[in-house]
Amino acid sequence: MNLLDINYMLELVPILLRYLPLTLGMAAAGMVLALMLSAGLAVIRVLRIPGLNAATMLFISFFRGTPLLVQLFLFYYGLPQVMSFLTTIDGITATIMGLTLHFSAYMAESIRAAIVGVDRSQTEAALSIGMTNGQLMRRIVLPQATRVAVPTLMNYFIDMIKATSLAFTLGVTELMGATQKEASGSFMYFESFVVVACIYWAIVELLAWFQRRLENRFNEAYRR
Amino acid sequence: MLRSFGIIPLLLTGGLVLAGAAQANDQPLKVGMSGSYFPFTYVEKDVLKGYEVDVLRAVAEQMDTNVEFVTASFSGLFGMLESGRIDTIANQITITDEREKKYLFTQPYVYDGAQVVVKRGNEEITGVEDLVGKKVAVNLGSNYEQLLRELPYADEITIRTYDSNIEQDTALGRVDAFVMDRVSASQVIKEKPLPLALAGKPFSELRNALPFRDTQADEALRDEVDAALQALRESGRLSEISQQWFGTDISSL
Repeated sequence: MNLLDINYMLELVPILLRYLPLTLGMAAAGMVLALMLSAGLAVIRVLRIPGLNAATMLFISFFRGTPLLVQLFLFYYGLPQVMSFLTTIDGITATIMGLTLHFSAYMAESIRAAIVGVDRSQTEAALSIGMTNGQLMRRIVLPQATRVAVPTLMNYFIDMIKATSLAFTLGVTELMGATQKEASGSFMYFESFVVVACIYWAIVELLAWFQRRLENRFNEAYRR
Repeated sequence: MLRSFGIIPLLLTGGLVLAGAAQANDQPLKVGMSGSYFPFTYVEKDVLKGYEVDVLRAVAEQMDTNVEFVTASFSGLFGMLESGRIDTIANQITITDEREKKYLFTQPYVYDGAQVVVKRGNEEITGVEDLVGKKVAVNLGSNYEQLLRELPYADEITIRTYDSNIEQDTALGRVDAFVMDRVSASQVIKEKPLPLALAGKPFSELRNALPFRDTQADEALRDEVDAALQALRESGRLSEISQQWFGTDISSL
């Protein structure tokens, strides 16, 4: 008996790859939006802006404290029962929104930690030569914080790519949804899931390679 | 901002709108299905197929409208119906008391029974009465869980709910049996390379139909779809589709 039907797997690859742009597109859109949102949240937390700080902490607490799947169901199926205009949001938009809100809660804390982690002497030195607060942030703190935050933020992006596999529960046929449907038609579960695992893995490896290059660039100034 | 991702909805629409022949004026009939319930709704080489697909295409043709199939995980289908994103679900939805309280059903277009399925060679389980003390898999959100819970010895059955792949886990021996409708269970065993066998006779009659939301507009739509089903039944088309897929007529008693 054949362990794996290689021919079936080879046939499946191009079919599944048609859904890769959607998977990556949702993750990329989610990442861009989450970066913006989380940067804002991190700044609120670092500066402890009154009122907003408490709201941000509640936001982070909720979106970090509940599973992404629960959040997706809540926004896609739950809320529209109360607010019917929400049904105009399609599955793709809802997935991107869910990814954005969920991951920005985590990312805000990473970014905050990176900003806070920049040594106090750096701030003092900058202020001593007469930099304004804006210059201090732009020229001194943020470049150093970015270098620290990049590895964890890349981690979240990788996680986000894989989290798009939940979108099939919202009726979005992405990579995983397409695989499940093909597997149920052929009953070649092992083959199908091996193929899809390899596709995800290859994408993540590609990103890891890109991350190493990015980190090398950021580390140039620190090399001795 | 999302507008720059306009290509993505386009791609998706291409994937979802798998049907729709002649252009009709009114809204298409939006039908939700899992796309992962062989042989009722499944995908082969990126093409959505199955008994449900053929029946709903015939219904739409009869109504002189288009049909748009939306696939989602089974656990998401009723949420889509509730939130108005689809008009009905074609996924062998069994009429139950609870569902009838909430939804309007068309006439049944499949008559079937719940079937216990075991790994081939399992002599211990020869019917539903042997499930005492066993691990039994059912699909999440399906009504087989309810059927099992209504058995007098329900407390002694360990019920596992799955989102998909119950056939696979039974074949692997992770659970002792799964319960599914007889028609698709026999189909699975006949056509797929999994070591499974039917255990005993079906233990409950099932009537499967199309559910609609309980509103005035949806009631009118339900009546239209029901009339189309009736016409297909009388013309013999419904029976014909059933013969093509199952070699027997499952659309009547």
